[in-house]
Amino acid sequence: MYSTTHSHHLSLHEESKLKDIKPEHKILSTFFIVISIAFSNVESLFQILLHSLIVFSIIFISRIPIKTYLKRLTIDIPFIIFALFLPFLSSGNNDIIYTFMGIDVFKTGLLDMFAILFKATLGLSMGIVLTAVTTNIELIYGLQKLKLPQIIIAIMSFAIRYIDVFIDEFKRVKVSMRSRGYEEKGIKTLLPIAYASGAMLIRGYERGERVYLSMISRGFNGSIELKEREYNSSIVLIFLTIGSIIVLILDMYL
Amino acid sequence: MSKYLKINNLSYSYPDGHEALKDISFSIQKRESIAILGPNGAGKTTLILHLNGILGNLSGKIEVDGLKYTTENIAKIRETVGVVFQDPDDQLFMPTVIEDVMFGPKNFGYSNEDAEKNAIEALRMVGMDDFQDRAPHHLSFGQKRKIAIATVLASKPKLLVLDEPASNLDPASRRDLIEILKNLNISIILVTHDLPMALEICERSLILNEGEIKEDSQTKIILQNEKIMKENRLELPFGFALHHLGDE
Repeated sequence: MYSTTHSHHLSLHEESKLKDIKPEHKILSTFFIVISIAFSNVESLFQILLHSLIVFSIIFISRIPIKTYLKRLTIDIPFIIFALFLPFLSSGNNDIIYTFMGIDVFKTGLLDMFAILFKATLGLSMGIVLTAVTTNIELIYGLQKLKLPQIIIAIMSFAIRYIDVFIDEFKRVKVSMRSRGYEEKGIKTLLPIAYASGAMLIRGYERGERVYLSMISRGFNGSIELKEREYNSSIVLIFLTIGSIIVLILDMYL
Repeated sequence: MSKYLKINNLSYSYPDGHEALKDISFSIQKRESIAILGPNGAGKTTLILHLNGILGNLSGKIEVDGLKYTTENIAKIRETVGVVFQDPDDQLFMPTVIEDVMFGPKNFGYSNEDAEKNAIEALRMVGMDDFQDRAPHHLSFGQKRKIAIATVLASKPKLLVLDEPASNLDPASRRDLIEILKNLNISIILVTHDLPMALEICERSLILNEGEIKEDSQTKIILQNEKIMKENRLELPFGFALHHLGDE
């Protein structure tokens, strides 16, 4: 009843071809591909086509079910809504290209809209692939391999470890509130929740202290290192990442 | 026989003025198991934290295996004395079980290979070697407790200190735990409210109450003495028969 349901909720890597690839490679690939998409020129059909091709090939080899992909892509909706307003608002050089029922459509705005639609959608797609084929522990492991500072690695692993404990505790608190007749109805009944949150915060702080004590008692000296794990490299992924950077550079100089 | 752990006149007050330990003195021998009994708030957990030098009282009043508790010796002492804390969720914080069990040995300077070897051995001792790659937060409470013990055993301590190891365990898990502890062949300090468990594992018991040692005697003698039991808010479980203690 109290079990947490969200653990590894993003990762469905079991069926994917990318699941055994070194997490650090996946993180770097995502980073470079997203960067080259972000810097790409939306007026160049060459870039749009090739970058889309690269991202869709990665989605294809990751074997994410298309339904899951589209569902997760809904996070893109706020960007899309924002982008759809831009042609009417962003009037860079007052370069009206069309007037429709007295409303001006600007060229700068139209380009901005395409830029956001294109870059946000492809960038998010890369993020969706990364989180779907990599568990959160693997992500931390990858970041450790990429020499991220120890303290950040430690904070991230604690967050992942204790978020479940925290959610479970909060669920228990809420169950005990309900068993004493509490019902959540509107904003006025939120006060007990606020008290409970405060109590949880203090408990979290105290737990932090106890965890720290148990760590020093096992000789903690400032570093938490994850165990070495074995993964493969993917030539296809490396090829696509380099391809993405080359597309960006080619377009700059041609 | 040589005294393995010696505590001489140890006192401790918390910063808010509460006097948690008053002039505690006792010693234990190598491979001896003792239980520390006493009501809530008696100072048991404070004493445990001292055994690992965590509360910073390093004035040499405690000595283990010939090592005085001083700042220089503290790493060695923490390797010698392993503490299993009350809530396994406080002790298990790494993403996977094996990494958690390797945490101690790695801090104490074991190589990665040796740390892993020790960790697997410790997990085998508690019967949890099939759980290496599992995430601790997905396990049951009893499993977490066993792994918490393994995290300490992996550093090969000479003295194992357990804070309420039987709390919240189902009877079968409690039984497993007792068997594990009985087979360890190292010194054990068992802090517990579970009197039958204390009787089964430890021949000798101390009663700690209001920060003082009120009694230091054979466990069965303590359990048979109604006056001592009552004074220190101790009670045998309902239906527990003392006749198998020998002289009833």
